[in-house]
Amino acid sequence: MNRYTVNRRHFLAASSLLLGSAALPSFAWAQGEPIKIGTLTPLTGSGGPYGPVMADTVKAVVDEVNAAGGILGRKIEVVSEDDQTNPEAGVRAARKLIDVDAVSAIVGTWASSVTTAVAPLCWESKTFLATVSGADSITELPHQGYLVRTQPNTTLQGRKFGEFAAAEGAKRVFFVSPQTPYAESQFENITKAIETAGGETAILIYDDKKPSYRSEVDEVLRFEPDAIIFGGYTPDTTVMLKELYRAGYQGKKIAFAYAVNEKLVDSVPADVVEGCYTIAPSSNESSTAYQRLVKLIGVDKPDPYTVQVYDQVNLILMAMAAAGETTGTAIKDNIRKVSQAADGTRVDNAVDGLKLIAEGKPVNYDGASGPCDFTDKGDISDSSFRYEQVRDGKLTLVKIA
Amino acid sequence: MLAYLIFALTIGGIYALLALSLNLIWGGIGLVNLGLVGFFALGAYASALLTGAGLPVLFGWGGAIIVGAIAGLIVTLATTRLRDDYLAIVTLGLAEVIRLVALNERWLTNGSDGISGIQAPLKSALGNQGFNIFYLVLVSAVVLVVWLVLRRLDRSPYGRAMKAIREDQELAGFAGKNVLGFKVQAFAVSAAIAGLAGALYAHFQSYVSPDHFQPLITIYIFLAVAAGGVGRPAGGVLGAYVVVFFLELTRFLPDLVPALAPAQFAACREILVGVALILVLRFRPQGLLPEQILPAPKS
Repeated sequence: MNRYTVNRRHFLAASSLLLGSAALPSFAWAQGEPIKIGTLTPLTGSGGPYGPVMADTVKAVVDEVNAAGGILGRKIEVVSEDDQTNPEAGVRAARKLIDVDAVSAIVGTWASSVTTAVAPLCWESKTFLATVSGADSITELPHQGYLVRTQPNTTLQGRKFGEFAAAEGAKRVFFVSPQTPYAESQFENITKAIETAGGETAILIYDDKKPSYRSEVDEVLRFEPDAIIFGGYTPDTTVMLKELYRAGYQGKKIAFAYAVNEKLVDSVPADVVEGCYTIAPSSNESSTAYQRLVKLIGVDKPDPYTVQVYDQVNLILMAMAAAGETTGTAIKDNIRKVSQAADGTRVDNAVDGLKLIAEGKPVNYDGASGPCDFTDKGDISDSSFRYEQVRDGKLTLVKIA
Repeated sequence: MLAYLIFALTIGGIYALLALSLNLIWGGIGLVNLGLVGFFALGAYASALLTGAGLPVLFGWGGAIIVGAIAGLIVTLATTRLRDDYLAIVTLGLAEVIRLVALNERWLTNGSDGISGIQAPLKSALGNQGFNIFYLVLVSAVVLVVWLVLRRLDRSPYGRAMKAIREDQELAGFAGKNVLGFKVQAFAVSAAIAGLAGALYAHFQSYVSPDHFQPLITIYIFLAVAAGGVGRPAGGVLGAYVVVFFLELTRFLPDLVPALAPAQFAACREILVGVALILVLRFRPQGLLPEQILPAPKS
């Protein structure tokens, strides 16, 4: 029987660990008072470049509001968790935010798979979720209103790509993309726009981790396209552009701005990428909200996700104040009252908005990412897009429309 | 708080099943399966698709076990000549293949959107809290049963034969043991357990996508088995719960060290996982519950 004593000791060690885990979070309960908001951004993994700034932005907005007296006489506290750009880890983190911290709202989920995994936890626990994910399927979930997103969905983005290509006179448009949640829906909407203009389209889905795309490029060129739209990310689009150049392709090139960015333009020979157009949902850079944000976080050109998360937290704070309550349900029922009230005074930040709400006046938030008006499903109803072109090795603004 | 503990224990149970699966194949017969997450994914998708087609949940779970076992058979039969590192590389590749098929065969798996709204058994009858408790009990019971069976196996002549193969497969073959037969059976059973874990996970979360099945989980389970004790089923189970609690407990550290920014802290958590593994391997390479090799009973 002797060998069992060792086991018991280990069992004790393990169970004390268990108990310890139960004791720790009880501190969190004891504080009780402040209103809690959770950020669930990718601090590690492939979203790692964006998440930290997003979390800091939420914190900065909340600090500002706290300094001005908080909401409903209470302070706000931000709890930041890491979704590791992975739905399995994201769900664990969301559970902690919901069950232990009892947050009223979660902001900033980035990857579409993470958002889809976390959304059911949110609507079941009546926690509000604001996301920057773009997949069309997200707002189709039965979320009962507990979800909004500030990222234009794929239908809208695809249509803009198609319309732009058609306006540039393209008749035969080829869409190349790795397998992404939005590739198919984007292609459908490009096709719709091109066919309306009397053109033709074709699609090729490739593996984004291949070192060479010679056979893919052959297939693309057999179609004899006069415009190619790239749906990929920076690394694979770089390879694709080089191979197309080598193959002597002369037509138009259109890509997402996050793929053909300054880094890509600097890293390839100028001729490879010359003339390439980029399209991106545009932050409203001329808005006062955008300029406030730049000053607040001290970043010159905040990425679109940071800009969106700034709007999300401002809206959520004002929705709570307008409701006079801080629950997720109160946010759900009131967010549209502060984002798109027809008779509301236009505001560009929560501090000003909260003052007006306290006086009993309606407000209408116009954010740094755009007007921030939501449909019943939770999509934004309008967004402007930014069109740029690589000219003499530099990304040059064509138009914002 | 209670809900969170229940959740963490349920995830711990699912990790424990994966650890039992890995322990059988790695600790038992000495094959390194770096593709554990692939079998986990197969089970999850199999059950999600079967129940999505209208079959009852139990059929989904049965299907997951069968699909896992068949995949295990295929892998061992396809790699009979491979051992050690070479097998490890093949299994690693297999897991990626499964993930990429799930990503690209949209007609079947709905691509990177994943499958959402997977049936959660009895959820409408029990309510959220009731369902979570029910699922914890269910998963824990499955862990208990699988553990008891594997423990029995471990102490049987079959288990001793497996360990003989692990130590020296030529010698075991020379002693008349059917080495390939043992390997095929062990791999199939191991893969079936991983498949069952996947099915349990899918119906708990109601959502699976290719992103769920990144190699990270395999690494966590290797950590669990290494920390718990390679070659002993109880070690794997304990290790799995320790890993989940370690991962979850570290979330509360920022309250103690407020100076760290969230991003720095997230990086520190990953470092801590690595450091923990190194410490275990350095100071307790046999794991928390070391393997026991009992003498064969005199007959």
